[in-house]
Amino acid sequence: MVFQKYVKVRQERFGAVVFDTLKEKVFVSNQTGAGILRLLGEGASIHDICEELSKGYDRTSAQLSVEVNNFVDELRKRELFI
Amino acid sequence: MNKAQGIIEELEDIDIVGSNIEDFDAPLFIAWQLNSACNLDCLHCCEEAGHKMPDEFNRNEAIDFCSQIIDLKIPYAAISGGEPMLCPHFFELAEMLTSNGVSLKVETNGMFIGDKEAKRFARLGMRSIQISIDGATAEAHEIMRKKGDFKKTVDACKLLIENDVNTEIVFVPTKFNIHEVGKAIDMAYCLGAYGFYTGKIMRIGRAAQNWDLLCPSEEQYAEAFEILKTKQIQYDGKIKVYYYPYDVIDELKYRLYHPAASLLVIPNGKVKLIGPLPFLCGDLRRQSLKDIWKRYKKAWKEKAVVDFTKRVINDPKLLCESNKWVELYL
Repeated sequence: MVFQKYVKVRQERFGAVVFDTLKEKVFVSNQTGAGILRLLGEGASIHDICEELSKGYDRTSAQLSVEVNNFVDELRKRELFI
Repeated sequence: MNKAQGIIEELEDIDIVGSNIEDFDAPLFIAWQLNSACNLDCLHCCEEAGHKMPDEFNRNEAIDFCSQIIDLKIPYAAISGGEPMLCPHFFELAEMLTSNGVSLKVETNGMFIGDKEAKRFARLGMRSIQISIDGATAEAHEIMRKKGDFKKTVDACKLLIENDVNTEIVFVPTKFNIHEVGKAIDMAYCLGAYGFYTGKIMRIGRAAQNWDLLCPSEEQYAEAFEILKTKQIQYDGKIKVYYYPYDVIDELKYRLYHPAASLLVIPNGKVKLIGPLPFLCGDLRRQSLKDIWKRYKKAWKEKAVVDFTKRVINDPKLLCESNKWVELYL
């Protein structure tokens, strides 16, 4: 998964900001979403992201995968990914 | 509520606005008026552009500013003027920003774009180039854009589009051209433009001085907005037709309580709070961009700013003072 060419992600104190500069729309996420966005930007798969997140949460990778997939679906719906 | 609630939230359709700018350690957008020189003499120019300012940023200062934009990871910048292509280091700055991941929009009158320049823009991989075309005919365009050349401007759009440069057309409605808005959108679509942008003329700069000559009546606006709605439907999915239905006073009423997460930098490196207000909150020759961002956030709460903004809202004629700069925090 790759972000669209004009989509920029910036880590913030509260989490992250995702800026679709072509459509001039801004989205924000909390710290968990920011972590996912960072990993996505590094080219991690959803499986890898769930594994990584499970280290910091009292939940298994399988339990987290539903939420992570929903998050990624939301990003796709907003056409932030190619 | 979306399914991913808890991880990601969408801010309301925020046009480069933080719902709370305090949350951001740096702006999200920089509007940079690179120079003041312009080859045209438009009746409605917000910046009253024409001659070069005596104290404009030199090349080294401009490069240093670009470095700060990159270091602060500011995602999006727009370079305008004056006419930015008259600045000798314009392409160097644009290349510096785009090659370092900044999404860049350039606002130009298009008069200096030939094949060579169009190809150079294409290589930049920039977000877009915005060309001002104020009519569907040479007559309307050139009456507003004195010294402008409709054919040359349209040809510039064609060259850019042929070279796959994302091209947007901006149309400022006035008494002279508002009746042509529908045809101007048709033209933009036929040219292959990515978008067509318009909205009420801003009562700033020369537009404020020429207000009675230029400002369309409410009836003319109503008719034009109906045409825009129809064109939006007609061209849905083919060209982005965007119009901002509010005027500068509506904008100020909103911004007073929801400042944008953006800075407006003028050619001498000073930083304005927002175009319609005269207040400067920083000077890039004296403060870093990071510090100016802090000053900007503070400035919107200053009594002088709040009081003057309220006065402008009650008396729009005060917008004539927007380019008579007032420095805060001397």
